[in-house]
Amino acid sequence: MTNSVKRDWKSVLLSHEMLLLYVLVAEWLFFFFAGTTTNRRGVIVGFGTLDRQFDILRHSCEIGLLALALTPVIITAGIDLSVGSLLGLCAILFGKLWHDGGLSLPLAAFLTLGIGTLAGGLNATLITALRLPPLIVTLGTYSLFRGLAEAITHGAITYTDFPASFLFLGQERWLGLPAQAWLFLLVAVAVWLLMHRTTFGRGFRTIGFSPEGARYAGLPVGRRLALVYMLAGFIAAVAAIIYTARLGQAKADAGTGYELFAITAVVLGGTSIFGGSGSVHGTLLGVAAIAVLKNGLACLPVVMRLNAAEEMSGLLTGALLLLALTGSVLPKMLSTFRAHRHAAQPPSPSPSS
Amino acid sequence: MSPAPLLQLRQLVKNYGGVRALRGVDFDLHAGEVHALLGENGAGKSTLIKIVTGAHQPDGGTITLAGETVTALTPATARTLGIACIYQQPALFPDLTVAENLALRLEPAAAGRRVDWPARRTRARELLARLGAAIDPEAEVRSLSMPEQQLVEIACALGSGARIVIMDEPTASLTQKEQHLLFAVVRELRQSSVGVIYISHRLEEIFALADRVTVLRDGQSVGTHPVSAINEAGLIRLMVGREVSQIYPASESVAREVVLSLRGVGCAASGVHAVSFDVRAGEVFGLGGLVGAGRTELARVLFGLTPADAGEITLNGQRVTLPSPQAAVAHGIAYVPEDRRRHGVVLELPIAHNMTMAIHRHLFPHTWLRFGAERGLAREFIRDLAVKCSSPDAPGASLSGGNQQKVSLARWLATKPKLLILDEPTQGVDVGAKSEIHKIVRRLAKDGLAVILISSDLPEVIGLSDRIGVMGGGTLRAILPGQSDPHVVMSAALGTAEKGAA
Repeated sequence: MTNSVKRDWKSVLLSHEMLLLYVLVAEWLFFFFAGTTTNRRGVIVGFGTLDRQFDILRHSCEIGLLALALTPVIITAGIDLSVGSLLGLCAILFGKLWHDGGLSLPLAAFLTLGIGTLAGGLNATLITALRLPPLIVTLGTYSLFRGLAEAITHGAITYTDFPASFLFLGQERWLGLPAQAWLFLLVAVAVWLLMHRTTFGRGFRTIGFSPEGARYAGLPVGRRLALVYMLAGFIAAVAAIIYTARLGQAKADAGTGYELFAITAVVLGGTSIFGGSGSVHGTLLGVAAIAVLKNGLACLPVVMRLNAAEEMSGLLTGALLLLALTGSVLPKMLSTFRAHRHAAQPPSPSPSS
Repeated sequence: MSPAPLLQLRQLVKNYGGVRALRGVDFDLHAGEVHALLGENGAGKSTLIKIVTGAHQPDGGTITLAGETVTALTPATARTLGIACIYQQPALFPDLTVAENLALRLEPAAAGRRVDWPARRTRARELLARLGAAIDPEAEVRSLSMPEQQLVEIACALGSGARIVIMDEPTASLTQKEQHLLFAVVRELRQSSVGVIYISHRLEEIFALADRVTVLRDGQSVGTHPVSAINEAGLIRLMVGREVSQIYPASESVAREVVLSLRGVGCAASGVHAVSFDVRAGEVFGLGGLVGAGRTELARVLFGLTPADAGEITLNGQRVTLPSPQAAVAHGIAYVPEDRRRHGVVLELPIAHNMTMAIHRHLFPHTWLRFGAERGLAREFIRDLAVKCSSPDAPGASLSGGNQQKVSLARWLATKPKLLILDEPTQGVDVGAKSEIHKIVRRLAKDGLAVILISSDLPEVIGLSDRIGVMGGGTLRAILPGQSDPHVVMSAALGTAEKGAA
């Protein structure tokens, strides 16, 4: 994205994000024609209906939020595996605060957001103060947060009976779009601005490329990293509230495995797992590509007959990710290969005196 | 002399890009001889070692081993020909035992072979006994002291039947007592007619241990002498040799008020201790010394990277603590680091981003990036410092070394510092960019900046500085006036000043 040499039209059209956009459009068109059918009563069903499109959007919001949370983390060359578990823990705490604690829903939501941020702060403290690797720290909190959620509910309690005014957020439309899509959009714009238009985003990127270089430039590396993980916790809490509103229930297994879908979306969106490069719009395209693939497959008659939508979408998502990764390293490998071939035949220095 | 020398180098030439590291080096090593190699930083010692151990190929000249001319020396063939090198930092596996480490180097690698543990142990014990070392072959290398690890390295060399042993600053991290142990081993090697190439900055070691000494200067051998026929002053004269040329821009600045004042500053973690000096506005205070003298370590203390744990630091009359780089920057300290590719420039980021990295708060006071302002500022610096680049958006990696250095410098000039610390600003920079950087440094001092210039390039530090602090062993050894005699500076750096060289 911004760290480009020269932005001529060719490099823009061939950028990772644009390529992903072509894939997304092709995907969408394919499913629109192959996955839309008319049923016996002459009603159009399947992928091509507006309801189905809104459904895709609705189902993408939580994973999309986690992907937005992970984009800054991965750009600093970190990782946060705990966001899915934190979503579960926050959902449970939100339900408990409201149901058992007798708090009003807005207050419970507010406290949940605080708890999410604090949980992110725990990751941040372990990573920055104790200098433990993010992968290990968040692998630990991945189990810890889920375990806490299970413990609080004894693995059995599910909080339900939320008022309709709250369920509106997850199940109704507002100004033509699913209500939670607006919240998702708000967070997306905020994270985009943070990453691409503020000194914070610049700092994250610098740290991702070269943590030592950032330190030598006088950037507060520890504080920037702490911010990134706390932000991830906050966004995971937002996702927890939306999740609860969509399903009308808060349970301990909420968001299980979401972190992996989110990481897939981020990497598919062009963010380097080694840090530094990547973009928020790329992440959004990655989320969309995966969501369309998953839902579109479920609409294909062939897949429906085989009842294999889950398997197919897993398989194709994996293939798409590997393809994208290969595509992103291939040009570099080719150029180093060529450089090596050049280096192999130098003007041979004859060792003669 | 005796029959054919073990090792004979004739007119060795090696170029790295445009840099001529070796330009015609002659060197002989006989069996049963300790031959010291001496020279300033960058004189070509490491390059020579790399060629003899096969790590690098020479661009010209001949290598003769025991009378036979060798072409295409690789690390593997060098080992089989009996050349072993013992580095400052032993490269052993810390979690394996001594016997296992020896076996890894000495036993042929073969899959599916049974390990003969008793034979391993016996051989390890024999080799260590030959060195007179009381080391348990079953001990994990991790548990050994540094000199013991070096002894294991030497045992490896002996075990592989090495006839030429190269020792690169072996005593740098040893205590006095450990040094004597090592000296005994070196004499032992000489007894068993091994040829030892001994590299050290410590002249007294060379006089205590070596038979002959060869001095390198600017990639050439400037003389080989029996140790008995030369004294310290003579060696220093050979090392320094040249006069400081007049190409350095003259100092026109007048030193004004004291900007930085150090009193007994130290940092135990980085080995800096009891450093006291003042730097005034408008002066270039050079820091000379050999590699490992503690100059970069001192700079890191002043920039808050490894905070001081002793002494007083006063900036503009105010006593300060510098616990972090952010604090140092806030106090108007700027540090252009030695390793520009790792620390000075973020290679993947555009030039403009690199230049504004330390002034986010001033250039973007409301945290919103202002691309126009950033690019404008970058263009100004590109013009002022004559950075050769395609555009402010080009990544740092696309620039040459000298231009990367200018970007790194621009980043810190943008902070409008009161004290600028330059660490090896012209290392690995081509001649043209070097003289440009010299002019910039002088101009900055003239404009009233206090500059600390760390340089291993003796003519540079002498020619460019108003005063020269000479460091050694983590502390300041002397403060000399600018344009001092290079011999005096070198003597101070080597710690032989009291004997009065030159």
